[in-house]
Amino acid sequence: MELTADIYGWVGVGCAILGTMIWRFAGVLLAARIPADSPLMGWVNTMAYAMVSAVLMIILAHPIGVLATTTIEQRLVGLAVGLVVVFFTKRLMLALLCGVCSFALAVTFF
Amino acid sequence: MSDLVYHALSVRQTRWNASVDALRAPCYALCLTMAGFSTIARESGLDFWMTLSTSLGIWGMPGQVAFASLYSAGASLFVIFVAVSLANMRMLLMVISVADMMHLDSHNLSLWKRVFWMHFLAITAWANVAAAQQKYPPHLLFAYYQGFALTIFAFGILGTILGYFLSDLIRPEILRIVIFVTPIYIMLMIINARQKANRLAVIFGGALSPVFFPFAGEWAILLSGVVGGSIASLYSHYIAKWHLETAE
Repeated sequence: MELTADIYGWVGVGCAILGTMIWRFAGVLLAARIPADSPLMGWVNTMAYAMVSAVLMIILAHPIGVLATTTIEQRLVGLAVGLVVVFFTKRLMLALLCGVCSFALAVTFF
Repeated sequence: MSDLVYHALSVRQTRWNASVDALRAPCYALCLTMAGFSTIARESGLDFWMTLSTSLGIWGMPGQVAFASLYSAGASLFVIFVAVSLANMRMLLMVISVADMMHLDSHNLSLWKRVFWMHFLAITAWANVAAAQQKYPPHLLFAYYQGFALTIFAFGILGTILGYFLSDLIRPEILRIVIFVTPIYIMLMIINARQKANRLAVIFGGALSPVFFPFAGEWAILLSGVVGGSIASLYSHYIAKWHLETAE
């Protein structure tokens, strides 16, 4: 049983690595051939951004592990503060600091 | 416009400058981000070596997180492959765009060497090489990328190692704050995308996924990506016509 779980884990790691490697490999092959500013490229790019954002929002809205001990309101406060600061200052690290500190305050005091 | 001072730099000096740029802040955030991932991976049931291999072999947060959560759910290998592929699909575009910025072809590297160097590409390195274009001439950007990407990779791996054992050292009240850094950091970075269409896609993708998630599960990522990205693309192309504005 333990061995089976181990095999499942390692083959899973291999599948995950392969699932990322194919894009990097394809990117290297296509780099010289595709004009980066074509409409098709723009579409694929927006899908990639939307997908990353989708993953992050699932982590925030339906977290697993220790993050699930916080409320959705607390997590949204942290996100909102970070977004507001990055929107007005364009400074990523400052926004990250403000967002995380707001979240820390929210989970500590509310 | 590239700065004349930077034009005079050697490849070695450029690599050094890039490492210093990484050491100013991005590498610490990456270290914390990967520590956050490592804790999630541990909670998902991955052992230390699997977690380390995931960071070394994938080196792309969303795909790593998707893998950890699918692993904990006991998803099929096919679903793991598809979900991680989808979560890290952006790598294709990032590689194409960074190779173009750095004039990678002019460095006469073999296919495998190009694949090797592109392995270290993630959002932070990509965004920083794009910013370095303002200072460095194209022929030095590859050296810049090498210095920057390897530095943050080293810190990311260090974070993975430390993060795995952090849950023993840090109380859960503090740990959940550390874990929160990961999604917020990436979200703030992508919402800051230069192209308006991409920023819009971040908003649509992020708004749709929690709606799709209850009935679509992990497929919510694909669904939100395709629907959100397509709406953003169509809106920007046919309604806002942002592509007709001055480039960048």
